[in-house]
Amino acid sequence: MHSSKAATLRRQRFDQYVGVYHQDMYRYAAWLSRDKTIAEDVVQEALLRAWKSLDALRDETSAKQWLLTIVRRENARYFERKRLETVDIDNLTASQAALLAVEDDKELDDMRQAIYELEDDYREPLVLQVLMGFSTNEIAEQMELKQGAVLTRLHRARAKLAVKMER
Amino acid sequence: MNCEEYREAIAADPSFDGAAGHLSECSACQVYRKEMLALNQRISRALAIDVPQLDVPELPEIGAEVSPESSTSMSDNVVALPKRPILSPVLLGLAATVVLAAFVGFRMVGSGVEYPTLGDELLAHIDHERNSLVVTNVAVSDARLTSVVPADIARLDHGAGLITYARSCVIKGRSVPHLVIQGEHGPVTILLMPDEMVSTPQTITGESVKGVILPVGNGSIAIFGEREESLDQIEKNILDSVTWST
Repeated sequence: MHSSKAATLRRQRFDQYVGVYHQDMYRYAAWLSRDKTIAEDVVQEALLRAWKSLDALRDETSAKQWLLTIVRRENARYFERKRLETVDIDNLTASQAALLAVEDDKELDDMRQAIYELEDDYREPLVLQVLMGFSTNEIAEQMELKQGAVLTRLHRARAKLAVKMER
Repeated sequence: MNCEEYREAIAADPSFDGAAGHLSECSACQVYRKEMLALNQRISRALAIDVPQLDVPELPEIGAEVSPESSTSMSDNVVALPKRPILSPVLLGLAATVVLAAFVGFRMVGSGVEYPTLGDELLAHIDHERNSLVVTNVAVSDARLTSVVPADIARLDHGAGLITYARSCVIKGRSVPHLVIQGEHGPVTILLMPDEMVSTPQTITGESVKGVILPVGNGSIAIFGEREESLDQIEKNILDSVTWST
């Protein structure tokens, strides 16, 4: 009876995190992998891993960073054997193109494509800062970089996007 | 702080609010700051892609759970039992039999998470993932196939057929490749289970599908198709195409 109650509480805790952070997990995975289908798979694997190691999460306030770290690792595992650093923007698979799909908004379309074309090193800190609201310190921790390197990448990422959007 | 330093700082973090003195005196940097804030808004909008409906995977039961309160109160509340004499080998054997019978009984009855048989779990999974059963001639990419069927699980030749769906799924608590190929009468589901051993081929019949679980090495491969589908040739093709790496 006692262990059943503990299991129920554990599941409730898990569902609560998933409810709050699922969107962040998916968007992070999507922009890391640049593929909607792969993002769904990565999130599935990440949820499974999070469920198994939920008891390791002691600090409730770091749940978001914990989940995104799991997503990052699952994405790395996914691409461990075949990393596609370059993507031919004119020859995307349906699942890749789905990430860029917008409706009647050229400016949004252009910006999404420009972000899509950014190198991983520049795109990821941008996603963590703009979408996830991470500080540069938190990004450095997440990406295992020095803060100076994060600042440089963010500065260069915006410079690249600004140039692309001026064309 | 000069103009270059300020612009680097604001481009790295648009919320940067330092160097107020420089900003108040430099109209060019004021313009640059506005541009960066506008750019950031556009980036934020572009990154906020639509999120599909949440699909939580089947979660395995977590064994040997001990809640914090129970673990801390054990020494205070539990009275030590008197030592029992060591069981004889005969009694140990009897006890093991009872435990095994209880375990088998539990598996047979099911608990809502466990399925009575592997076949039942596979049928439930296929039903759960009906979106995979699409008639199409569009193959999944090699990259996707490689990621779903990595080299450390199995090697898959092209003779398997036109693979139109590939996804890692959880069966019996393990992540396994779930593939769909196109058969004569519709999509055919293939589940590669390198760690799920069966001793003999098992025929499975669902409401609208039929299938077989074939023993392959130390694992098994499940193949399910429409009732009208002739699975013999597909079974042969799959068995010829798949080689376990483990």
